[in-house]
Amino acid sequence: MCFGCCGCCSAFRPRYKRFVDNIFPVYPQDGLVKNNMEKLTFYALSSPEKLDRIGEYMYQRAARDIYRRRYGFVIIAMEAMDQLLLACHAPALNLFVESFLKMVQKLLESTEPELQILATQSFVKFANIEEDTPSYHRRYDFFVSKFSAMCHSSEGDQIRIAGIKGLQAVVRKTVSDDLVENIWEPVHMDKIVPSLLFNMQNARFLNNEAKEVIPEDQTDPPMLAETCLRELVGRASFGHIRAVLKPVLKHFDLHKLWAPEDNPNNNEFAIHTFRIIMFSIQAQYSYTVVETLVAHLDDNAKSSPIIRTSISGVLSKIIAIAAGESVGPMVLEIINSLLCHLRDSVKHGTSMTEEKQYQDALINALGEFANHLPDYQKIEIMMFIMSKIPFPLVDNHTPADNLLQSILLKSLLKVGTKYQTIHLNSTFPVSFLEPLLRMSLAPDPEMRLLVQKILHTLLDRHQNLEKLTKPTVNVSKLNLVLEKSSRPDLIFINKHGPIIYDALYTTLQMDSNTPDNVEAVYTTLALLCVELASAETVIDLLQLVLGIQSLALNSTTLSTSQKFNLHALVISLLVLIPSVVTIPPLLEYANQIVEARTQEAPHLLPDLMVHYPQDSEVANKVPHLLVDQMAVCENLKSGGIDPSRLAQTSPYGAGGPGVVIGGQRNSWIETARGSVIDINAPPEVDSVSSSPGVQRKMVEEELTFESMKKVLTESVEIRKEAEARRRKQLSDTFRTATFSELVRRTQPKHDVLQNKLNEIFKSLSANDRRNPTEEKKIEKPAYEQNFPELFFY
Amino acid sequence: MDDYKFLFKVVLVGNAGVGKTCLVRRFTQGLFPPGQGATIGVDFMIKTVDVDNEKVKLQIWDTAGQERFRSITQSYYRSAHALILVYDISCQPTFDCLPDWLREIEEYASSKVLRVLVGNKIDREDREIPTHVGEEFAERHNMYFLETSAKEAENVERLFMQIAEDLMKQARSRDLPRYDASTTNINGRTSTVSDSNCCSRFQ
Ligand SMILES: Nc1nc2c(ncn2[C@@H]2O[C@H](COP(=O)(O)OP(=O)(O)OP(=O)(O)O)[C@@H](O)[C@H]2O)c(=O)[nH]1
Ligand SMILES: [Mg+2]
Repeated sequence: MCFGCCGCCSAFRPRYKRFVDNIFPVYPQDGLVKNNMEKLTFYALSSPEKLDRIGEYMYQRAARDIYRRRYGFVIIAMEAMDQLLLACHAPALNLFVESFLKMVQKLLESTEPELQILATQSFVKFANIEEDTPSYHRRYDFFVSKFSAMCHSSEGDQIRIAGIKGLQAVVRKTVSDDLVENIWEPVHMDKIVPSLLFNMQNARFLNNEAKEVIPEDQTDPPMLAETCLRELVGRASFGHIRAVLKPVLKHFDLHKLWAPEDNPNNNEFAIHTFRIIMFSIQAQYSYTVVETLVAHLDDNAKSSPIIRTSISGVLSKIIAIAAGESVGPMVLEIINSLLCHLRDSVKHGTSMTEEKQYQDALINALGEFANHLPDYQKIEIMMFIMSKIPFPLVDNHTPADNLLQSILLKSLLKVGTKYQTIHLNSTFPVSFLEPLLRMSLAPDPEMRLLVQKILHTLLDRHQNLEKLTKPTVNVSKLNLVLEKSSRPDLIFINKHGPIIYDALYTTLQMDSNTPDNVEAVYTTLALLCVELASAETVIDLLQLVLGIQSLALNSTTLSTSQKFNLHALVISLLVLIPSVVTIPPLLEYANQIVEARTQEAPHLLPDLMVHYPQDSEVANKVPHLLVDQMAVCENLKSGGIDPSRLAQTSPYGAGGPGVVIGGQRNSWIETARGSVIDINAPPEVDSVSSSPGVQRKMVEEELTFESMKKVLTESVEIRKEAEARRRKQLSDTFRTATFSELVRRTQPKHDVLQNKLNEIFKSLSANDRRNPTEEKKIEKPAYEQNFPELFFY
Repeated sequence: MDDYKFLFKVVLVGNAGVGKTCLVRRFTQGLFPPGQGATIGVDFMIKTVDVDNEKVKLQIWDTAGQERFRSITQSYYRSAHALILVYDISCQPTFDCLPDWLREIEEYASSKVLRVLVGNKIDREDREIPTHVGEEFAERHNMYFLETSAKEAENVERLFMQIAEDLMKQARSRDLPRYDASTTNINGRTSTVSDSNCCSRFQ
């Protein structure tokens, strides 16, 4: 039974066996007998039909040697098989490969680390050769299992490295041909992916963050595993990505890698891993990663806020990489999801700092995402966010409502900051502008401030925002960047100027305004002036300025300090307007007032303060320091501008409570004292949702937005969709119909209607949950409960 | 010499520290390793035994009990012919976790898998789980039951031999789950029996 050393019997043995026997030396340390190996190779090449028997025989010999622990001979056998494998290209190679793989498996099964490593090397060589006809019945299950186990070895780096290289080889071997073995099956991926991550997670990976390409011959297990992961992800086609991502998420959960126990705020490994995935994945699929992470956030709704913060943090770090590729409904779906998380978070706990961090992380992710979208999508996103904001009602009964509003406005601001306005009319479609202006009348001064900031970032096209944050009478020092306004801009302001000015005027009436609020309105007006500088807009602006002055003079609700604030705002604008539009006489007039006030009443000039000196004279007592309408008209005329419009009655009231005068005001406002019926029963509110009038209106107003949303909601049940649409219509109706009412309600007056509306909006938003089971509960819609009379005429 | 008629995959599961690795090493290497460290990920051992004069190769996958390795260990259940669920008779919590393990087995393993419940460490004086309690549990859940001591080599050989015999009986009656990566359904559970001889009659 002793081969290789028994020359006498070799004569009776088949030739191929003799060739094989002869490659083994007497003493294993002498190594493979080279010239006999050449003979064997030549023999195999010339008689390829013998290859399978050669292979089988070599395997049998090696198996015996392993059993007898004669590892030297085993190593020689493996080397010989490697050489044969590389030398032969015959179709018969297939059969040889079977023996070859049996041999590799045999070595992997041994407890000797050396043999395992050797086997892996051979397997890698095998994986690199191209077989003419891959064998479809061949299975790599054992190799994946074993290499994965080796990846976890505690016997040192060498075994782990072998394991990783082995996995890499299996992937390479199988990935191109699904018929051979579908390596993307969970049974494999659930082994391969955690094994790679396990090796990566202990790395000092941060030092290498910059290097996106790692040399192939990296021998450090973390780097090698990373290379392998990149390769794997890079080869994944659309159908396979989830198979890779699922075990990644599971591994991160189980190993607590979102928020490591020793350092919960350190999610750098998570970021690192997902960046790798994003950079390796075929670009057109990258949004799948984002989608999967968002879904994982859903799954973690009950987890600690630290974990949720970490996941959102990862999202915000990678979302940018995906955004460029994301198209279509995916965008809104992701945004919607993030918004839902924000809302849920607000519901959870409002006070915990950890929850706050989570909200910030979400807002950041939103902003990052939007930042990398094309501008037209940003507008859609802003409108989408807008549609999610609960409406400011008289009193926000719960702090959560309040918080949600402000958080959503912050998100809106974040997105707005990333948006670059070109034409105002494309930035402010009516369906966006109107709700935004309505929001600018929110009871909470913080919220109003946010809305103004959103307006600022969207209006400012020439980087003048910084210069115009504070009212000033030294306009010449500002170095404003000016550009002649375009026709579309002028059309825009002609069309929408009235509602904008009106909203700004109304917001200035609020007795809860701080100097910050007044300054913010100044900035908005100043930006409007700068961006839309033209003789045509000057009159409207001046009309407003004069209106504000009379508000400051006549209001019975504003405090003295607030009135001083308004006067300072008025004079600042009066200087700014003729500087920008170049009306020297008017500028001169404005400067005279400034000078006079500097002498006699500095409290009527900027800066705005909360408290003014006790002895500050109220403006009514110093009429010569006020802006005089007649003087303005005259200066305009000598500046070459027709002031006749300004001379007419001002559309702005005297500023007393509840005295918002109709008539000349834009029809959008209608009468402030509309009856309940006026507000609640416009033709749109119809129990039949398919009223054609309503449909047409929506299509006209929100074409792209609606179509996007349609795609978004198409996946959910039709019933839910229909209900949502009805609800949206109704709430739209309320939104559009009740602005004047809102204006009125911003004044300290309550009535039955307000409470009723309050109830409705509250129940609407309560119904508007994401939980589909709740949606399914067949209930009377809130509006039917509250307004049954609307549905049964 | 290396030929075997049957190849069976056996996977050990159970809480950390119940003695899975010790059982495997006792069986494959005939020793009780002093200071056996916790298993990381998955370990692998092989042993060929004789059943009715036939060679049966047992591929033994020893999984880590630690929770954090659950993702990788679960992926090994799927191809198991037999699952050995181990608890420590001197440690009540390891017994209390059994329902959780069963749930996992239900989810990830083949429904045909041979399931064996093992109460290990019977050499210890401080027993907390009486034999009949373990027995009843096994009966209720349709499992084989055995108490062992890896330390004293008690019932270890018997455990694995029993499994080998049983699987062989099943294989002979062609009732053994066969694993074929391409026949897993969407849930990742093996659902179909393939024609290929993958319980491996190597000749
Ligand atoms: N007295 C006694 N101790 C045992 C026995 N079997 C294992 N142990 C001890 O129990 C401890 C854990 O044994 P392991 O075999 O490492 O446990 P394990 O189930 O593999 O643990 P993990 O790999 O972490 O899942 C070790 O200290 C062993 O010495 C036994 O039969 N009797
Ligand atoms: Mg162990």
